[in-house]
Amino acid sequence: MRIVAVTACPTGIAHTYMAAAQLEKAARRLGHEIKVETQGAMGIENQLSASDIAQADLVVLAAGIAVRERERFAGKRIVEVPVQDAIKDPDRVLSASGA
Amino acid sequence: MTTSTPRPAGRWSALLGAHLADTRRYLLSGVSYAIPFVACGGILIAAAIAFVPMTPAGPDFSGAPFWKLVLDIGTVAFSLLVPVLAGYIAFGIADRPGLVAGFVGGAIANQVGAGFLGGIVAGLLAGFVVFWIKKLPVPRYLRPVMPILVIPVISSLAVGFLMFAVIGAPIKDAMASLSAWLAVMSTGNRIVLAVVLGSMIAFDMGGPVNKVAFFFGAAMIKEGNFAIMGACAAAICIPPLGLGLATVLGRRLWSEEERDAGWAALAMGMIGITEGAIPFAAADPVRVIPTIMAGSAVGSVIAMLGGVGDHAPHGGPIVLPVVDNRLAYLVAIAAGCLVVALAINALRRFAAGRAAREA
Repeated sequence: MRIVAVTACPTGIAHTYMAAAQLEKAARRLGHEIKVETQGAMGIENQLSASDIAQADLVVLAAGIAVRERERFAGKRIVEVPVQDAIKDPDRVLSASGA
Repeated sequence: MTTSTPRPAGRWSALLGAHLADTRRYLLSGVSYAIPFVACGGILIAAAIAFVPMTPAGPDFSGAPFWKLVLDIGTVAFSLLVPVLAGYIAFGIADRPGLVAGFVGGAIANQVGAGFLGGIVAGLLAGFVVFWIKKLPVPRYLRPVMPILVIPVISSLAVGFLMFAVIGAPIKDAMASLSAWLAVMSTGNRIVLAVVLGSMIAFDMGGPVNKVAFFFGAAMIKEGNFAIMGACAAAICIPPLGLGLATVLGRRLWSEEERDAGWAALAMGMIGITEGAIPFAAADPVRVIPTIMAGSAVGSVIAMLGGVGDHAPHGGPIVLPVVDNRLAYLVAIAAGCLVVALAINALRRFAAGRAAREA
């Protein structure tokens, strides 16, 4: 399954990137393809392209703040979780999302 | 983990070159955030001025504490225009880390009286400085403090220094010599003087050049010469009224956002707030600024020839009660607005046609 994700936390210097790393690790473990965009204090990094999003079966938003450019995901299956959950138990976030 | 791999120096300059070519897009991203501030501040100021009596000393708020409050709120919203413009131009270039230097630089542009053109410079400077710092290879353990500490401090210092020392100080000198030059001009040909005054009023819409012409006109009122302010008063309202008129006449040529800004510009023009034209000028300076300078110059010349005198240090149709030769004043404004509206729409139609052919 192809997954795209966005992580974002209020300060944008640690949790954003920890959540991204955890989701990437968990997805690999479960045999999914994933691309994670981080919206941290540096701004948007590893930005999801239109084709990334078009090909994705699932969108995971792990955020403690409003996700920027959210309209990109209109019409996709979206799962929203607190950024903490993605850090603590990324496997469950993905499996509970149906991945 | 997202890692931005350090790039060799050659790629940086290529990237920066691509950025310079994209300047228009950055200006637009700043303008899109600034428009609501202009509209909010402008409408509040316009309403406040419209509801109190206009006197030879300007609008009189002594009997209307409520409208004074509205005026003050509007003024605050308005004063955020340049910082927001600069901040979001920098944001467009360098994303979130650009915001601090952009806002600081924009606030300094306000403080040194550099106007919205100073704000554009500040925003671009901040954006490029931060863009460049972001590309520096940084040890992993320092990376978390870069965007919230290192980048804001270094970029604000750099932009702030440039804005105060390199842009702020010369502006003061330039304003002084412009004033002296105007005083000399005023003894010569009055048509040439009107062209100069009108162009100056429109050039930076409330910025330093505009202020020199405005203060000159206001000072002449005290000397008993009302004609200088008369020429300025017509020029003051022509950029926002003309551009607002353009969005009404050529609806298809303007985006929905610009048409909304057009209504706000019309309201601001009516009460003599030239700044209403800033969203248009900041988005497309090369076409808009010469156009409004021409329109204001036309208005100033007609006002001068028509013997228009303005007894209040203020412009736009709102000062009509304290104007001599009212018909000539209205003709001057109408003519200038038509020049602006027809010229800018023609330019935009031409640009749209050329873009279509190239595509």
